[in-house]
Amino acid sequence: MAVIKTCDLRKEYQDVVAVNGVSLEVEEGELFALLGVNGAGKTTLIKMLTCLTAPTSGDAFVMDHSILRDRDAVKSLIDVSMQETAVARNLTVEENIEFYASLNGHSAEEIAAVKAALYSAFDLGQVKGKRASKLSGGWQRKLSIALALVSDPKVLFLDEPTLGLDVIARRELWKTIRDLKGKMTIVLTTHYMEEAEALADRIGIMKGGKLLFVGTKEELYAETGKDNVEDAFIRMVGGDLDA
Amino acid sequence: MRDSIKRIVTLTKRNLKEIVRDPLSLIFMIAMPLFMEILFYAIFHTMTSQFEMKYLAPGIVVFSQAFLALFAGQLIAIDRTTSFLTRLFVSRTRSHEFIFGYAFALLPIALVQAVLFFLVGGIIDSSFWSVTMLLGILFGMVTSLLFIGIGILLGSLCTDKGVGGVASAVIAGQSLLSGMWFPTEGLGKGMLTFMRVLPFKNATMLLQNAVNGCDDVFADIVSPLLIVLAYMIVVFIVAVFAFRKKMRA
Repeated sequence: MAVIKTCDLRKEYQDVVAVNGVSLEVEEGELFALLGVNGAGKTTLIKMLTCLTAPTSGDAFVMDHSILRDRDAVKSLIDVSMQETAVARNLTVEENIEFYASLNGHSAEEIAAVKAALYSAFDLGQVKGKRASKLSGGWQRKLSIALALVSDPKVLFLDEPTLGLDVIARRELWKTIRDLKGKMTIVLTTHYMEEAEALADRIGIMKGGKLLFVGTKEELYAETGKDNVEDAFIRMVGGDLDA
Repeated sequence: MRDSIKRIVTLTKRNLKEIVRDPLSLIFMIAMPLFMEILFYAIFHTMTSQFEMKYLAPGIVVFSQAFLALFAGQLIAIDRTTSFLTRLFVSRTRSHEFIFGYAFALLPIALVQAVLFFLVGGIIDSSFWSVTMLLGILFGMVTSLLFIGIGILLGSLCTDKGVGGVASAVIAGQSLLSGMWFPTEGLGKGMLTFMRVLPFKNATMLLQNAVNGCDDVFADIVSPLLIVLAYMIVVFIVAVFAFRKKMRA
């Protein structure tokens, strides 16, 4: 069953076509990685799917709810962790979770249950009394992703979740994301090819606002004649493999 | 409606915590004006009537409120630039709930400022005690909304560094164009008209006249109140428009 379906989705900013007629389906429970160079249109596509910006034309559906006509229903099914860490800096880890849970309409009992679940899943219990601003970059990003789960989303959008993290923090976050696989549908954008290789069930490649390829790693290798995602990606977007 | 109120309360609590846990905000909004109130009264009150407590305390209240614009603006600007607001925009929270959440978080601080600076004024100069202080506190809440509105507007339009620059101009405006630090009698007619058209002198006059009493209620209370209200309404309308535009963008 397609949880996300986009139909000829297009977004223009004045003279720039950021997303150009993207039609795509993402299946329930899969982790779909969206790859592309800077300005390819990945973040704009995510912003349209999360109702942060309206498409110029076309439509998209999250579990059959239109992002144009049924925004509240879409918002109740999704959550997002953006590129930049999005936490309340002067609130403790515990207060951050309480804040998001309360904003999502959780009762006191539900908030306690959410806190316990997130402490366990993300090891956040050990830093629960620390203010977010005092956490390392890796912990902040972990908290940021944890907060996206407070609303128990059916679809989770992760926009470059490991950007700027050191290799250890990145690998730890991969493990966290891997643990989420199958529990919800995840759409992940990344610049790190090895991240897509390690985590994704299917890969989409964007360039200049257009979706050039959608398929599994194996299908990507077969189409490009390469044996790793990075080389296949470069071949697909027309870069110089010898550079 | 109930869900909306709950979201506003949640946002208010969070915003209040963010501001009061920043030591700089407490220094500039509370400690520094308090220090100035005590110091300027001690040094100057025998030299010029400008620094008698009945004029100084209401002036200090409005002066301290100008910092609300700075810290409200910085909080919103930082929330925007760190994607914190983007995340919240994905939730079902509405733009007016965000605006109320920011505004309501700053009102308790404005109340503490007014009560504290009047209270300290009364302790230092017992002749300052009067039930009209309550009127001063009430009007102080109105004038604080003007600066809170300016803060929301700046936070919606500027980066956190930009907010610092523009809010400093607002604070300087409140200092220099309110007439609280120097007598305005000797100023030229043009300058006086300029000061009376802007909200700073009107806000200060409003509190001073409310606390000290006046001969002409329309000229001394109603007129400055209307000017402050007019600015406040315009600033809030533009702020809501700017915030919603940012939300859509």
